[in-house]
Amino acid sequence: MSSAMSLTAIGLVIAATIGIGLFGLRISRTTSDFYVASRAVSPRWNASAISGEYLSAASFLGVAGLVLVNGADMLWFSVGYTVGYLMLLVLIAAPLRRSGAYTLPDFAETRFESAVVRRLCSGLVAGIGSLYLLPQLRGAGLTFHAVTGAPPAVGAAIVAAIVVINVAAGGMRSITFVQAFQYWLKLTALAVPIFVILITWRSMEHPVGLLDSLQGAGSEWAEPLSHAGGRDHPLYATYSLLLALCFGTMGLPHVLVRFYTNPDGRAARRTTVVVLALLGMFYLFPPLYAVLGRSFAADLIGTSPDTVVLELPSRIFAGTTGDLLGALLAAGAFAAFLSTSSGLTVAIAGVIDQDLLRSRLHRLTGGDYLAVNSFRIAALLAIAIPYLAFNLTKALSLADTVGLAFAVAASTFCPLLVLGIWWRKMSVPGAAAGLVVGGVAAITAVLVNVIGPPSGGWPKALFGQPAAWTMPLAFLTVIVVSKLTPHRIPRGTARSMVRLHTPEAVDVDRGLPPA
Amino acid sequence: MSDTRRAGDPELTTYRDVQLSPDFSELRRRFRRFVFPMTGLFLVWYFVYVLLADYAHGFMSHRVGGNITVALLFGLGQFVSTFAITMIYVRWADKEIDPPAERMRTLIEGEDQ
Repeated sequence: MSSAMSLTAIGLVIAATIGIGLFGLRISRTTSDFYVASRAVSPRWNASAISGEYLSAASFLGVAGLVLVNGADMLWFSVGYTVGYLMLLVLIAAPLRRSGAYTLPDFAETRFESAVVRRLCSGLVAGIGSLYLLPQLRGAGLTFHAVTGAPPAVGAAIVAAIVVINVAAGGMRSITFVQAFQYWLKLTALAVPIFVILITWRSMEHPVGLLDSLQGAGSEWAEPLSHAGGRDHPLYATYSLLLALCFGTMGLPHVLVRFYTNPDGRAARRTTVVVLALLGMFYLFPPLYAVLGRSFAADLIGTSPDTVVLELPSRIFAGTTGDLLGALLAAGAFAAFLSTSSGLTVAIAGVIDQDLLRSRLHRLTGGDYLAVNSFRIAALLAIAIPYLAFNLTKALSLADTVGLAFAVAASTFCPLLVLGIWWRKMSVPGAAAGLVVGGVAAITAVLVNVIGPPSGGWPKALFGQPAAWTMPLAFLTVIVVSKLTPHRIPRGTARSMVRLHTPEAVDVDRGLPPA
Repeated sequence: MSDTRRAGDPELTTYRDVQLSPDFSELRRRFRRFVFPMTGLFLVWYFVYVLLADYAHGFMSHRVGGNITVALLFGLGQFVSTFAITMIYVRWADKEIDPPAERMRTLIEGEDQ
């Protein structure tokens, strides 16, 4: 891989990101612009932006890496990422929009009228967000290492610094255009090399066939529920992963807020249709990299499978073609890290600022501070914590780490949202207990994976893919505790239910800012 | 965010009225009757696909032509079906949810003013 060419490409992506961000800053100045400005944007642009933010390092690099090592079962990652959006649309999107809450802690507070539940949610948003940021930084480190040979900590630091600059400067308020641009960049970066390979293949005399890895001996990896990569109990693991992805998307801090960037529920539905088409189109490509990678770069399986996407062109083409395609992929990868990290950092910083920092800062300085500075400090904290974690923990594969973030979200916010929206008899202690039990169970599983995963058998499967037991456990806790504490059902439940379930055209007070 | 909120002063009786009104329960019931079974159905479809892949191995690896197997078609079908489900939902919501919503709107706003 030519480092000069790749570095130039990465530099261009960074410049474009900051440039579009700053340009947008001039158009939008107020805090609400972040949400409201994009209401003038058509569903198609909005859908590109949502997809741009959603497709992270795990999608761009991680899925191909996992399929390369573990085979066909990992294709469920792509399906699950997409289905998660459908679940969000069908079950949550409309009622949540109507609640008038921009964030999960806001929703918890209006629905349960409880500061404790709100604070639990804030902590979980920060936790899930950090867990999701970790693989973005790891991906940046890997890519930078593959391009220049520099230690991974450098690449991660670069992404962290750019994100903080961009977010703190307020450049992400015009997030829609940056994200939309990054979606198309990511799609192009993944698609072009594949087409170049397919088109030029016939004229090349390469000793390895394109589909060698799918034929004859050694092709078992491509069979479903294979034990490739040393995974035990593949059926359980697949089901658990599917559950986590289907029900975890609704609890991701940077995803929900995006549903406010549509003028009404109808447009939100239109947008989701386009998002699903865009995501589906994108996810056709990573598996192709894995199949080609098995033929041309099988040595990466044991060393660093997450770089297969970056390495593939130079394994097939010698010289400039390989370098150019490699540079394009490196640029696409950086677009993935930047877009997702920025969206996550904004979401986490908002919560840290509002719920943890502002009141303390207020007390410390006696009110002598700017609210904007509190947000900036929060943004710095939001990315510094995962950066520290990145330096302290061992490498889990990119997509696996993201899978765990989904599992935590599915075991905490999913019961809170689904039952909170549909079940009138949910009590405040029930909500709190569900968050605590689901959160502790899922986070324990995460820590076990990070610190020292069990060597095999059921313990490895149960901790590796915890959602199948932690999510039902959380639902059960909410239901049982709510049944035991019927006198603690929030007094405003009737009002909340009307608010959540009457369509938005109806003028009930939702606490929404006037349009 | 929360600081941009209007301090609402909701008329609790109106909310109770709405909650108890047959239109409201009809709307909620209609929504639940469509959305919950549909969610269940499409989850079952994904889960059965995983099982098929394991236990109907011969069927799934049957070659339709060239390198294209039944499993591959079904796999791509996951994306197609996800998309189809979304389209069905959107159509349904436009047709079945928006009109009664409109009726409720006139009802409530009539009461409010």
